[in-house]
Amino acid sequence: MKRLVSATLLAGLLSGCMGAMPLPIGPLNRQLESLGANRDPSLSGRWLALISGKGGREQVLLVDLERQQPLPLPGLNRADAQPLSVSVDGAGERIALVRQLEGRTELVLYRRSLQSLQPIAMAPSGVPRQVQLQADGRQMAVQVSRAGLWQVDLVQIP
Amino acid sequence: MIPGLLLLLAGCGEGAWLSRRSAGPTGGFLEANRQDPALSGQGRFLASVVERGGRATLLLQEQPSGTVIRLRHFQGHQPHSSPSLSWTGRYVAALVQQGTQRLPLIEDRATGALHRLPLPADRTAVRLSLAPDARRLAVQVAQEGQWRVQTFDLGGLLEPDLPGGVAIQGGGPGGPP
Repeated sequence: MKRLVSATLLAGLLSGCMGAMPLPIGPLNRQLESLGANRDPSLSGRWLALISGKGGREQVLLVDLERQQPLPLPGLNRADAQPLSVSVDGAGERIALVRQLEGRTELVLYRRSLQSLQPIAMAPSGVPRQVQLQADGRQMAVQVSRAGLWQVDLVQIP
Repeated sequence: MIPGLLLLLAGCGEGAWLSRRSAGPTGGFLEANRQDPALSGQGRFLASVVERGGRATLLLQEQPSGTVIRLRHFQGHQPHSSPSLSWTGRYVAALVQQGTQRLPLIEDRATGALHRLPLPADRTAVRLSLAPDARRLAVQVAQEGQWRVQTFDLGGLLEPDLPGGVAIQGGGPGGPP
């Protein structure tokens, strides 16, 4: 709480000296703070996807920024999977996720309205590490390791 | 690497077969690693981080041509990381090095303006995400050995960048040719 107040004060002071500044979104930041340690944010439309951990276990969360509440994602999170990178489209319908499961790293695409999870193959074969969905949900950029090099694939989504 | 126009079909027996292509040449850095990809809202621009002279440097390219778009304010302060683009690619955000700190920086390609987000000295930025409409910024910071995500309202700072807006060509006013 103390930290949030000081951050807000700091932003306010800087704003006075340097013109318009980004303002911390206090209520949302407090809500995120209450969820535990958070990483890998992805903002799009009214949605914030991130990887959140509490008690040593991490999972994907989708926060509705207007209601400032996490939404259920049935079928996406698994207790035995480790999420690595997540991205949401502007409609909050598609979530792309790189995760480790049973010793493999895989890219999956989740459709929220269908509660469906679709594995996406890497071709040529490679190990995905990061993913970003473009806001219209029609394409994703995937960072892939191949033969010791990091490459980027652009994958069309039907 | 085969140039980026080659279409490939995915599939090795595991997972869906979706049409894809390599992001292609990295603007003269053919063998370079390419990391941290970020697409603009409709995929016209791709930002990524490549190695230039051994330093991680932000690269902005038009797709699918691969034409490199010069940026005015990302010529120094390497290593760059975690780029993020608005809907039309008007705003380019990324983390840069400033002294001992990692800080978010946003370039407005329409006006040439630069926006910095100062952070308190006890926290370091790790990743960022700029909302496509440029109304919010989310920053993952490391503080006291823990990761936190903090969100910022950019409403008083940036004009919104909405779908259907006019994509900015080149590096914006006052930018390098």
